[in-house]
Amino acid sequence: MKKVFVIESIDNVGTNVFEPIEKGDTVGTHGVTSEITVTANDAVPYGHKVAIREIKKGETVYKYGLSIGSALVDIQPGDHVHVHNIESNRGRGDKAQKDATVS
Amino acid sequence: MSEWLGYVRPDGTVGARNLVLILSGTLYANNLCRHVSEMIYGSVSIEHPLGRTQVAPDLRLTRKFLSGTGANPNVGAVVIIDHFREENCTAEDIANDISPTGKLIATVNIRYDGGYVNALDKALHYAADFTRQLSNQRREPVPVSKLLFGVNCGTSDTTSGLSSNVATGMTSDKIIAQGGRTILAETTEWMGAEPWFMERAENDEIRKQITDAIAHMEARALASGEDIRGSQPTGDNILGGLSSIEEKSMGATKKAGTKSKIVGYLDICDRPGDKSGLYVMYGPGHGGESISSIAAAGSQVLVFSTGGGHTISHPIMPTIKVTGNRNSYEAMKDTVDLDVSGILHDEITMEQGGEMVYDEVMATASGRLTKSEVFMDHNGFAIHRIGVSI
Repeated sequence: MKKVFVIESIDNVGTNVFEPIEKGDTVGTHGVTSEITVTANDAVPYGHKVAIREIKKGETVYKYGLSIGSALVDIQPGDHVHVHNIESNRGRGDKAQKDATVS
Repeated sequence: MSEWLGYVRPDGTVGARNLVLILSGTLYANNLCRHVSEMIYGSVSIEHPLGRTQVAPDLRLTRKFLSGTGANPNVGAVVIIDHFREENCTAEDIANDISPTGKLIATVNIRYDGGYVNALDKALHYAADFTRQLSNQRREPVPVSKLLFGVNCGTSDTTSGLSSNVATGMTSDKIIAQGGRTILAETTEWMGAEPWFMERAENDEIRKQITDAIAHMEARALASGEDIRGSQPTGDNILGGLSSIEEKSMGATKKAGTKSKIVGYLDICDRPGDKSGLYVMYGPGHGGESISSIAAAGSQVLVFSTGGGHTISHPIMPTIKVTGNRNSYEAMKDTVDLDVSGILHDEITMEQGGEMVYDEVMATASGRLTKSEVFMDHNGFAIHRIGVSI
């Protein structure tokens, strides 16, 4: 079974530090927990994250036990989690700054 | 292991090395420094392109880097070689800065000592004499509390924040638990990890200093036309799976551990106080400049955590390269000292990885050479600058 690495128990994503995950693969967890199993809804390349729990739109995405951003859409267990479905919590400030400085 | 073996200096600090440093005051003395170090056993030269026609804030920075490096306890004696004189950064200024340490110091000036060949002659005599004197000194057992540990990362990848940085952080916590101190720099990578810093800081004054430092670094980036936050994480980082600056910075802060309090904020190259704990130092993300500022603050040994592998090695501060990426270790194992990739492959626990890094730090502080030291590779000295040449 393929695996992702989970750092803290509060984390709702795991990181693929092993081998490429294909859509439909059964994916287990390793690290702080080995009890979660999900089915990959997407391909998850090396270094990328997969949701190990449901994350509703607007909810916090946790890695390292801390926020790495918020969900832009409802994320299902097994979804590839990346810039297409989460955004930085500092994002809005950045956008405002960017808009102000773009000529 | 609660003790390590080091060279006790007159000011009570302890060196992990016993080097004669041939320190160039300016670009035009570099070649002479190299000649001296090539002839003298146990010496190392530091060469750099600065020290002339710099704007005042930059010249002050150059002096801080040079004086701090000379004052580092790994240096038993210093020969400072200058070409002429640049006010406020002369060989004598640097010697005065270093003199409170009580170590052996000499200055040579190419112009005042009768030209290139006579200056070389004089510098060789000083360096030869210093090397012989230092060779009388023996390592002594000293407590871990005498260690000022440096942490840095570079060429980071997904594995860094999950393995090698964490193992490095455990080492830092263990050193601090025994009364030691650690320096974390690279202000650029504090951004997005503010909650972590605020929680770890011992008091509100430090919290404000950290907040101001991050704002200052962001403002500098913006002034250069580069919005850090717009370009962080970088395209490479995103391809590698990092989704936000928070995620990137969080991985970076892992190398400062999870238990120790931040007991002080330091300006670049500033020496920390005696209090045990974690110190955070203002500085750039540039690897060479960052580790050089940590060495100038007095750190005797540094762990450089590197997902991709690295060759970086400071001339006077052993630079232990640690990776959590097995492929990188295989590709770079002649300069990467330690492979903790077993953590992610479930072969060793995180705690065991932390023990491996700690043991490597203690062994290296006590005299084991890093792989780069064996190659006499002294590539890692760089002086941070903020302005232009004038």
